[in-house]
Amino acid sequence: MKTPDLTKLDTILERHEAAERSLIQVLQDVQKEYRYLPREAFEKVGRHCGVSVARVYSTATFYKAFSLVPQGEKLVRVCAGTACHVRGAGLLLDELERALSLEPGKTSPDGKITLKTVNCVGACAMAPCVMIDGEAHGNVKPGEVVTLVKGGRRDAAAD
Amino acid sequence: MSTLVKIKIDEKEYEVPRGRYLLAICQENGIPIPTLCHHESVEPWGGCRLCVVEFRKKRWDSWWTELATACLYPAEDGLCVWTRSEKVMKARRTILDLLLARCPGSEVITKIAAEHGVYQTSFAKREGEDNCILCGLCTRVCDRVGARAIATALRGALKEVSTPFGEPPPDCLGCLSCAHVCPTHTIGHTEADGKRTVWGRTFELVRCSGCGAASVTREQVEYAVRTKNLSPEYFVKCDACKRRESAATFAGLLFDERKGGEGPVGPTGSGPSHE
Repeated sequence: MKTPDLTKLDTILERHEAAERSLIQVLQDVQKEYRYLPREAFEKVGRHCGVSVARVYSTATFYKAFSLVPQGEKLVRVCAGTACHVRGAGLLLDELERALSLEPGKTSPDGKITLKTVNCVGACAMAPCVMIDGEAHGNVKPGEVVTLVKGGRRDAAAD
Repeated sequence: MSTLVKIKIDEKEYEVPRGRYLLAICQENGIPIPTLCHHESVEPWGGCRLCVVEFRKKRWDSWWTELATACLYPAEDGLCVWTRSEKVMKARRTILDLLLARCPGSEVITKIAAEHGVYQTSFAKREGEDNCILCGLCTRVCDRVGARAIATALRGALKEVSTPFGEPPPDCLGCLSCAHVCPTHTIGHTEADGKRTVWGRTFELVRCSGCGAASVTREQVEYAVRTKNLSPEYFVKCDACKRRESAATFAGLLFDERKGGEGPVGPTGSGPSHE
């Protein structure tokens, strides 16, 4: 893995108070900027917030929103909550695993796409739900999920 | 000055400072309470739950009681506490049953469980080499020491005590405080040929110039010199040698006094020197 460009890290740190309570916000911004938490950043983040590298690692591994490995440019999250599960989230996941040759939680080798499951996105009324880059798509059918993920319009698939 | 309050523990009255934690009170008064995650050098944590006690507050109905961890429950006026009631023992047995499922190989837990009448777990045993109960005492003590080299990583069923990235910890001093306080003695460490290994990192030990014993790591010396304002000279000899020298100096001074020489210095003078 090549060393990430850490010049933007200083700009991120400048935006936040040098205190322990900023740690999560700093990590969120770093995650947003690099699409993961580069381990090279841990020491600097820790020093800024006055916490140990061990504490930064502890926080980074605790929250699911943080990742220690680079995430794909597109993040696809299939909701696997109870309502979505009952209404066929498993079928959507099978379909995506097959079409993208990816296991849930993994990123494609070209770094384009990451497939994940989440336990609930809070949109149970439109189950089964798929989040693509933060945008929720409801009532997704197995036949259209691949087109949807590849950026196509779903009515095109429905035809 | 803290206010004294009257509380009852196991039907016996005690006068204790308001706000003092029940576990501390029990320990001071020789009332046995089992605990795994408590250590006097760090703040109470309530991690292992074993010190659970039954209590009733002053204004509560006479039939109502609740359970709380003694290590974190502050004393207040009129509090009634029971440390070995049936409700307490039932809760402790469940906790020990769960701990036994987590660490079937731990002698310490097996022993405490047997003392409470739990001889085998009724849950599925966890598979794994270590006997970690995730009480976090090692990480709290490490923070207290100031090294801050270890912390818990991940969460839920995958939670573990870990160094950053699971690699040899750069901030570790090799002081072994974590291993010494671990209630289940599960933090592995070795010491041989003047080298100490813990958390996958090997430390070189500093030898005493007197007896040659190796007791502290180079990192510990550097850390103490940097943060505790101690001279590096302080670590040239080990504690045992320093004590021996003090004793010899002191004996010499007494001997001089008996001979009628200059004698030892007065009460304001310095103690035996370490030179």
